[in-house]
Amino acid sequence: MGGKVTCTLGEVKNRADFIVYWGGNPAECHPRHFTKYTLMQKSKFLPRGRKDRTVVLVDIRETKSAKAADHFLQVRPGKDFELLTILRALIKDQKVSEEQVAETGLSLEVLKDLIEKMKAAKFGVMFFGMGLSMTRGKHMNAAALLTLAAEMNAFTKFVAMPMRGHGNVTGADVIMRWQTGYPFGISLNRGYPRYNPGEFSTVDVLVRGDTDCAFIIGADPGATMPKPAIDHLAKVPTIVLDPHVTHTSRLSRVHITTAPAGIAAPGTGYRMDEVPMPLKPALQSPYPSDEEVVRRIRETIALRPDWMTNQPQMIEAQI
Amino acid sequence: MSEVILRLKQDPVVTLEAEVITPDKFAEMSHEQICESIVYHGKRQLRLDEFFEVEGEKSEHIVLHGDMHRVRHLGRAMTMGSLTAHGDVGMHLGAHMKGGEICIRGNAGDWVGAEMSGGKIHVRGEAGQQVGAAYRGSLAGMKGGIIIVDGSAGIEVGMRMKRGTIFIRGSVKDFAGLQMIGGTIILGEGAEIRTGAWMQRGTIISLKPIDLMPTFGESGVMNPTFISVYSNLLKPHGCELPNDQNLGCYRRFSGDRSVPGKGEILIWQEHALN
Amino acid sequence: MLRITGGTIYDPANGINGEVRDLYIADGKFSSKFDAGRTIDATGMVIMPGGVDVHTHVAGGSINFGRARTPEDHRRTHAFIRSKTRRSGLGGMAPTTFATGYLYAGMGWTTVNEAAVPVLSARHTHEELNDIPIVDKSSLVLLANNEIILDLLEEGEDERAKQIMAWYIWAAKSYGVKAVNPGGVASWKYGNDSKHLTSKISGYDHITPGTIVTKYAKMIDELGIPHPLHLHCNNLGAPGNVETTLETMRHLEGSRAHFAHLQYHAYGGDDWGNMRSEAARLAEYFNAHTNMTTDAGAVLFGDTVTITADGPWQHLLYKLTGRKWGNLDVENETGCGIVPYTYRPSNLVNAVQWAVGLELLLLINDPWRVFLSTDHPNGACFWRYPEIIQLLMCADYRNECMANLPLNIKNKISLPEISREYTLYEIATITSAGPARSLGLKHKGNLGIGKDADLVIYHQDKDIARMFGHPRYVFKGGEIVIEEGDIRETPDGKEYLIQPFYEPDIDEFLRPRFEDRYCMSFENYPVEMERIEHAQIQKCTGDDAEDGDSQ
Ligand SMILES: [Zn+2]
Repeated sequence: MGGKVTCTLGEVKNRADFIVYWGGNPAECHPRHFTKYTLMQKSKFLPRGRKDRTVVLVDIRETKSAKAADHFLQVRPGKDFELLTILRALIKDQKVSEEQVAETGLSLEVLKDLIEKMKAAKFGVMFFGMGLSMTRGKHMNAAALLTLAAEMNAFTKFVAMPMRGHGNVTGADVIMRWQTGYPFGISLNRGYPRYNPGEFSTVDVLVRGDTDCAFIIGADPGATMPKPAIDHLAKVPTIVLDPHVTHTSRLSRVHITTAPAGIAAPGTGYRMDEVPMPLKPALQSPYPSDEEVVRRIRETIALRPDWMTNQPQMIEAQI
Repeated sequence: MSEVILRLKQDPVVTLEAEVITPDKFAEMSHEQICESIVYHGKRQLRLDEFFEVEGEKSEHIVLHGDMHRVRHLGRAMTMGSLTAHGDVGMHLGAHMKGGEICIRGNAGDWVGAEMSGGKIHVRGEAGQQVGAAYRGSLAGMKGGIIIVDGSAGIEVGMRMKRGTIFIRGSVKDFAGLQMIGGTIILGEGAEIRTGAWMQRGTIISLKPIDLMPTFGESGVMNPTFISVYSNLLKPHGCELPNDQNLGCYRRFSGDRSVPGKGEILIWQEHALN
Repeated sequence: MLRITGGTIYDPANGINGEVRDLYIADGKFSSKFDAGRTIDATGMVIMPGGVDVHTHVAGGSINFGRARTPEDHRRTHAFIRSKTRRSGLGGMAPTTFATGYLYAGMGWTTVNEAAVPVLSARHTHEELNDIPIVDKSSLVLLANNEIILDLLEEGEDERAKQIMAWYIWAAKSYGVKAVNPGGVASWKYGNDSKHLTSKISGYDHITPGTIVTKYAKMIDELGIPHPLHLHCNNLGAPGNVETTLETMRHLEGSRAHFAHLQYHAYGGDDWGNMRSEAARLAEYFNAHTNMTTDAGAVLFGDTVTITADGPWQHLLYKLTGRKWGNLDVENETGCGIVPYTYRPSNLVNAVQWAVGLELLLLINDPWRVFLSTDHPNGACFWRYPEIIQLLMCADYRNECMANLPLNIKNKISLPEISREYTLYEIATITSAGPARSLGLKHKGNLGIGKDADLVIYHQDKDIARMFGHPRYVFKGGEIVIEEGDIRETPDGKEYLIQPFYEPDIDEFLRPRFEDRYCMSFENYPVEMERIEHAQIQKCTGDDAEDGDSQ
């Protein structure tokens, strides 16, 4: 079944002697990542720092990050899933022909060399970016990489980790999990959490027009989502909490200006490896925090009659 | 034969979750009970007759009329009887179904027959994604029964299915038979990419040429007798598989080697007319 | 004020064994007098102090990782529906936080000890604990594979190591120290394990798991921490590991120690085929050495998800089952692994495990030293405790269950020869009074005057599992929280922590070592006090202070 095998970034800093970046461009998108966590750091286990590490970049084009890598593997666009799946077969000594490998834009020889290096590593890590998880195949591309990393543990220590985008995406994911059991794609319409990405994920709900109101915090879907989703946001009453004017706030019915989290509002941010970081605000803001606004909205709603009556405290079988 | 007939009289603004609409439940319910049974319009609990005109009672045969593309969970976990819809229906049609028959004279949404274990679903129009699939995290999808889609279907047809048959007369998108554990998928008009990815066991039969994962290997051509046997079994459902060796043969591929799996993909190839 | 009359009371902390007495409650505590207020008639009912779970995993990075890995279980389990006063939640193998509070309180448990907190993510653990309603909470911090402390022991800097230990406990706002597979997790980070007390630890030359356990137990005693070293021994789950466990116990003679989930450490044989119970041998040693306490870590048949800081064991389980696997290594400190698992009566290994948990509970003769636990969710989910109570109280029921075990289990277990049946008094001891004493929570598990009014009232019932699964009333801090299965109130629980003494200059000693190892700023690392809701700092002394509860 594979799995998810991961670690905190300090483990990478202290131990990773083999680092793969897949479909990400940390040199430009996460500039501090190389220096702080991966390439440059020396440690008890890797006293020579960069010299003790092997770095591989896999991407569809040669980005600035390629210069920082020891090996650059250029995969044909849209062939990440195939390449990862071939690697899973090859680590188990399954036969894949030269022609079959060729469709990924790489050669069998290069892959065999890569696998040899991976197996020889003491502590391998694979980072993956949006170039992997947001292209055709999406979650399955990420699953392929996570599974490869899990299966590598039959030979040596290997972990994998997503390079998340900006904002506290990880924090939302972590809290949703402890409160509802699920990371995202959740519906609470039946009075308890249900999970089904594709059915309940925001973009799908909006594209299908399955909602008659939208409440947006700390995100700007008006800038990133497909047009039918944006059109629906403009059609229904949309409420935005944001320190700034955004694409979404422009099309919203209500925009409440809030204090920027981490700069003027305290709290906890979760790093991409799920390590919680305290946000210690340096500035004061005349605006309320997101938390305060949500709490006050909640208190006001609580004064109104409940829409769910005659519900049992608990149900045995869910829908 | 008595029937319960439901006619959609008011379009839901948001999704309408109506898992109560199953032969098992309606077989026991009086007209009044059917009218007052609860459906969920978004987060609000409403009477079924706010959306549907109801005719009949106490029958295990249900007939629906109207554009029900926002109506979800029809025929959920049904074990008997029939459900027929004249019009489109929403997600989770016949999910967890164990028996009985569903016929949709229109299109269906995602998750048709998800994790079903018996019975028959026939969608005359098109189906969405994850036909006969496993829900996220589940170890197994469809475990029995048959799903027929006359039109096309979306991604992940038969994901993690274990037993049973899925026949998609039209074309399907990516990842048909993803992580398949058993059972049979028949693709009438081929598929986009990554068919059979990560399959362990089971059979995918394509009647049109398809692209395969690089982790499958070819293991000969054949006109296996089981295809003819299978074709006879499927005939009553309106499906036929070619197997005349004068007309063509099946190329057999096995994989997915990344697992490593013992699944097979058979691709029908007509002999070139010289 | 409130009065409970006519109930039959089992209060082991005060030696009250089934006497009919009245209880008075005022301001959340038991009181000696009653002026006016509600009276609850408990005639014919059984009253015990609220349950105390000494070892469970309910909050933090690991269980939350487990939640993410098991959506299929969330869907098939029972769901709590939101109301104006209750949050929604899901039960099952890894319940959500709100549901965790409802489920514990629902069976009469009012205090829980989260047994595995990495310091690095302690902030996260506390945020989750804040979201567990009703019950009081404490937590133990994982330190036995902390490389900064191990380095100091390697260098022979024992005193400094002790100071750092105290610093870490306060930084994590924790209540005590948990040691998991000492040295083994550090080795696992290079894909190795350290299975025996004399094994090499990867990266070290002078220390072994044996060094770690003895020195840690000593340091904890010297710091005067209320709860002793909470130890998850090396070589968990492996056939023949009883030798490691006994060796560990011999290392710890003369120190206090709590052995966690002993069931997983009591196996004989040398492979899965000939694995057998060594509970009798272990119990014999344990009975003779009163410096130790333990919790059972009992196994029940059914589905669960195994979550432990023992990374190497989890990888083995993944290879054995081929099921989903999650692993999370935490820099410098620890790691955790997650594998969904089904214990089956037809599986010989599982059947032995099931028997071992019960054998330990039945063969250890002092109920003040062995406590009810399943190492939730590893052996079974905590909400199945009533089933274990039934197995302990009814030998007939136990025999019935044994009929489902494979025939070749004969000679591998001693359960069939055990006829002991627990009394209600003993149940109150292993579920409440005992664990409260071991944790050093003097105002818990005790119906005496001035103690916290946490209690549970049961209907007398021949069906023991039903009796303990469905209390008539549950009181927390003097408030009725459960009545006939209905959640009445959902007050916030308290959180217990300690502040052991360390020299103030330790900060500056630690800073460079810290900055070398971690990728977080030193200032951001300790959890701020204001992050803990309803914090209660417990005193840290060797002597028996009159009241450990500083309000
Ligand atoms: Zn544990």
